[in-house]
Amino acid sequence: MDWFPLLLSAQVATLATAINLLLGIAVGWLLARRSFPIRDLVGALVTIPLVLPPTVLGYYLLVALGRTSPIGQALEALGVPLVFTWRGAVVAAAVSSLPLMIQSCRAAFEGVDPELEQVARTLGRSEWEVFWTITLPLAWRGILAGMILSFARALGDFGATLMVAGNIPGRTQTLAIAVYDAVQANDPTRAGILVALLSIFGILTLVAAQQLGRRLAA
Amino acid sequence: MLELEIAHNWPGFQLQLHLTIGAELIVLFGRSGAGKSLTLRAVAGLFHPASGRIILNGRVLLDTRSGINVPPQARRVGYVPQGYALFPHLTVFENVAYGLRSSSKEVHHRVMEWLDRVGLADLAGRRPHQLSGGQQQRVALARALAIQPDVLLLDEPLSALDAPTRSELQALIRTLQRQLNIPVLFVTHQLAEAVLLADRIAVLEGGRLLQVGLPKDVLHRPARPEVAHLVGVRNLLRGQVRGISPEGLRVWIGEREIRAHWDPAAPPPPAGADLLVCIRAERIALVRPDRLPPPERENLMEGEIIRESDYGLSQVLLFRVYGPRLTPERDYDLEIEIPPYVYERLGLDRIRRWTIAIRPESVHGIPCG
Repeated sequence: MDWFPLLLSAQVATLATAINLLLGIAVGWLLARRSFPIRDLVGALVTIPLVLPPTVLGYYLLVALGRTSPIGQALEALGVPLVFTWRGAVVAAAVSSLPLMIQSCRAAFEGVDPELEQVARTLGRSEWEVFWTITLPLAWRGILAGMILSFARALGDFGATLMVAGNIPGRTQTLAIAVYDAVQANDPTRAGILVALLSIFGILTLVAAQQLGRRLAA
Repeated sequence: MLELEIAHNWPGFQLQLHLTIGAELIVLFGRSGAGKSLTLRAVAGLFHPASGRIILNGRVLLDTRSGINVPPQARRVGYVPQGYALFPHLTVFENVAYGLRSSSKEVHHRVMEWLDRVGLADLAGRRPHQLSGGQQQRVALARALAIQPDVLLLDEPLSALDAPTRSELQALIRTLQRQLNIPVLFVTHQLAEAVLLADRIAVLEGGRLLQVGLPKDVLHRPARPEVAHLVGVRNLLRGQVRGISPEGLRVWIGEREIRAHWDPAAPPPPAGADLLVCIRAERIALVRPDRLPPPERENLMEGEIIRESDYGLSQVLLFRVYGPRLTPERDYDLEIEIPPYVYERLGLDRIRRWTIAIRPESVHGIPCG
């Protein structure tokens, strides 16, 4: 049994979740606490990966980050090409799971009573201090739930990852792609093990997310 | 000293008020939606009026003309919103310490001193959800006062509390104001609380100040009909000025002359001017025939009780006068409120014909156009 896909998937999903944590907190906070003219547009744009077919999403990323694009050429020059590398898989997983993270963060921030922040300001604390000492600690459970969902989604991404990173065994073949590969290669045992792994993990993360959500509500 | 002059327009609502407050407890009194909370939020810097000035102890906190707008962080105001807004993830101690920045030893000393002052020294380690409503309000007070603010803003601080807790906290707030000697703005829509606590009451309605004055003046000498309604004056009668004499104002109501109070310092109204005459239901006495006061001292009227309502703690009698009526458009002329024991002592359930006496000081006229 080749464990590479499992390790790669864990690495990709972890990094994607770390990136999404930062993006999700920043964008989620903006959407929850600031009103600006294009807020609805931004809200729609960060949700679109959820409704687009993953291949379409992957195609966009491929075009945006590929060798012919300015971004792709810049990355190439820096020696960190994304397309058809495991880094591309991280980007694909991050983008496809970002909506879950942003939505969770937004809901978590919206759940913090703005009056608490206002009182904290009258007590002399700066915006930054208020965020770190009041907003973030009170939103933390919701953000954590978002991280779990986002991690699970990143771990399971297939379409976008396949488009951006390809299916290179030992280099970019993640767990989800390895399942497809095993079925194509007519190896039901391997496919079965991989599917079981993904399913068990998916169920566990959703149970954890529900428990967090319930404690959040209480 | 706090000087406040703010104006802001919304569609259908206009906030516009001017108020100067010394080291006193001012109650902002009015219905919900009158602009009381907005006024507090403007002082705290949480709401920015379109135009105005706010000056606290000579410090300009807001001046829209010169573009000054001090952020809430630098205003030194103690703000306690409705519902207290305690930080749920912090202990009582941490809540009170939140606004303090100095060495940890000094912070500890100051927090414990404040918790002691509000009577919570032994609950320092609790979380807000483990406290009763009254205890939560004490924490909110300590937290707001620990930063040594120049003004204290309390938004309906006691409205969610039961009666005994409420009176304890009323006493605490009164004591703290006297000790600290800073302006306190206290928002309430409860008349009894306003009268009990206030040095002065500022009556708000529809975003405007209707009257600012001593509690007894607001209660007994409302400046405008709206104030009379808000402070529960139940007898509001239309009348005309007949003239002014050393005993006071002579007012014509219906076909009767009633003597009313008039502030000697105020310019007397011209004869024939329209007045809205206020007589508090609590200020009308039923007198026995053998104890009638001399008619030149009090307004005396004969009549009968036609209906009554039992409110438990008081009886409200609907009284119709004999002879010329005060309000011919309805079947009674005056509402009279008396305590139940007076009702029983006078045997009002049997004896319905009475003479009522109203002192001229209890009759107040509001000039109306």
